[in-house]
Amino acid sequence: MEELIQHLAPLVKEVVGYIYPNEIELHWGLLVVVYPYVTGLVAGAFILASLVKIFNVTELQPTYRMSLLTALAFLLVAPLPLLAHLGHPEKSFAIFFTPNTRSAMAMFGFVYAWYLMAVLLLEIWFCYRKDLILWAKQERGLRKLLHRIMSLFSSDVSERALRFDQKAVKAVTLIGIPSAFLLHGYVGFIFGSIKANPWWSSVLMPIVFLFSAIVSGIALVLLIYMIATPLRGKEMDMACLNKLASYLFYAMIIDFSLEILDFIHRVYESEESIEILAALVTGKLFISLIVVQLLLGMLLPLGAIAMAKMLQMPSDLKKMIYFVAALLVQVGIFSTRWNVVVGGQLFSKSFSGLTVYKTTFLGLEGLLVSMGLLLLPFLILYVLFALLPPWEESKVSLEGS
Amino acid sequence: MNEFDPNTALSSIGGFFRRLRERWQRFPEQVKRLTVLLAVVVFALVTARTMLVPADFGKYGHYRASAVDEIVAQPIQYAGHEICTECHDDVAETKAAGFHKNVGCEVCHGPAAAHTEDVEAVQLLAPRGREGCPLCHEYLPSRPTGFPQIVSASHNPVKPCIGCHEAHDPKPPETPKECSACHATIARSKAISHHAYVACTRCHEAPDQHKLDPRSFRPSKPDGREFCAGCHDDGASGKEGIPQIDQASHEERYVCWQCHYPHLPEAQ
Repeated sequence: MEELIQHLAPLVKEVVGYIYPNEIELHWGLLVVVYPYVTGLVAGAFILASLVKIFNVTELQPTYRMSLLTALAFLLVAPLPLLAHLGHPEKSFAIFFTPNTRSAMAMFGFVYAWYLMAVLLLEIWFCYRKDLILWAKQERGLRKLLHRIMSLFSSDVSERALRFDQKAVKAVTLIGIPSAFLLHGYVGFIFGSIKANPWWSSVLMPIVFLFSAIVSGIALVLLIYMIATPLRGKEMDMACLNKLASYLFYAMIIDFSLEILDFIHRVYESEESIEILAALVTGKLFISLIVVQLLLGMLLPLGAIAMAKMLQMPSDLKKMIYFVAALLVQVGIFSTRWNVVVGGQLFSKSFSGLTVYKTTFLGLEGLLVSMGLLLLPFLILYVLFALLPPWEESKVSLEGS
Repeated sequence: MNEFDPNTALSSIGGFFRRLRERWQRFPEQVKRLTVLLAVVVFALVTARTMLVPADFGKYGHYRASAVDEIVAQPIQYAGHEICTECHDDVAETKAAGFHKNVGCEVCHGPAAAHTEDVEAVQLLAPRGREGCPLCHEYLPSRPTGFPQIVSASHNPVKPCIGCHEAHDPKPPETPKECSACHATIARSKAISHHAYVACTRCHEAPDQHKLDPRSFRPSKPDGREFCAGCHDDGASGKEGIPQIDQASHEERYVCWQCHYPHLPEAQ
């Protein structure tokens, strides 16, 4: 009790106006911000990979396998913030074994499992099968064993088998795009379907989430490509970078338009909540929404990429602009998730008061755990890159073997 | 009709399996391996599910049926208010006519199941201090206006509630002098408004019974623009320093309180 009062006392001092007693403390904190952010990166990276296979964007070929592995690394981490937030991860299997079809959250477990097993792992397996077999032939020891297991002890590298691989990759990608939409659309759906909360309740929510996911995914792959390539001592493919930046730009334009549409719609509708939402946007969320999300995370990178596209400039300067823009986009999209999740709980359901959110540093819901969860995918990605090198030069030709 | 020939039957079954094997061999190698993996995963999941999900899950609904028996087996703490009336019929009669008629006996006296089993051995307590009543009657802005509320720090401190109030038939020992005794939210707003010195009774007429039975005897409210105009029309005399408008032309389609909150009117 004493601990609870110590925790609540400083919060109460920052409450503005009238709020109900159970609204002082937020129920969904930093971990629930991390979750849609990470899931968005998965969906975005996968959709970028799909562009190569479905729309034959050859310039993006160097990032194809990298995007798939990025999606996998982040997908493996995606449920962890939820498990940490809910507690009792050892009971989570019950969601799968006794499915509750009337709960969107429970059904998401199946969307996640489907996406992991039937889409991502399958596509990666078909994509890498030939290389796994050929790598294993040249290797010894543990690495050979690992690659043999990963290829499911497959050995057929006949032309017919390789043609089948390519067809399968295309088929899985075709199923994968709606699955990726479902994966992140769900996250928007969860917020959009809460009708008691005017900040969340909007049918546009899943679509806005989806496009911001695509934006963040493309920006992430751009960043990883720009960091990994010089680290390996290789030259960056400028055509690939330009194409990535173009797609990032288009996705941001759509995302920005949708967000503005949502904004205009709210202002035009002017429901009874509009005053408290206006107070929220101009007060507690001013820095994270207007400054970080809109100016730094959207308008500045949009302008910078547009300038890099229109003006003649040395390619090194272009690279720098793309890098900084992609970094700002990441900060902006994280801020978007923050503004949705935390923003939606800052105002009272009485529409006449605002509370405050303060994150802790230690503890399961704290900053340290969240930072760990954001770093973990990069660690997994490092291991994946070591086991399944996505680089062009790592591919072994049949004749070479 | 042909006679049943075991040899023909066997060979046709053999043929079926041969055809199945041939078809399986024609599958691409990848599909075969994935099918085996899928079969292993499905088998493992089905086995795990059979072992981990309780056998009686889903018998009645989305829960374990035996959980109901476990809950039934828990000792009963509360007796319910009906059994109290069997012995304490006089109290029950008083309570049934008062404001507390919908408050169960055990809300104040605690769980009574043990007491009903053995009346002598287990005696129930009644709150005799000031700790019980404020749980419901302490002033809270979210409580409905008209619900009797006090600020216990300033409401006869140290005196026990039952010193003045009969809990089974609660009535104020004397009728509240001020409207603010119950309408604290409004009183607080009004106290800092331009209407601070306008008495409640200037706009509301409250019958005396309102203080004893607030929901049955409601106070009156002004019913037209003319009422506010009594002070705020520019024709009203002797009202210097009060904001005044021309009642005939000022937003004639609305009544005053659609735009101005009378308990906290904005300064213009």
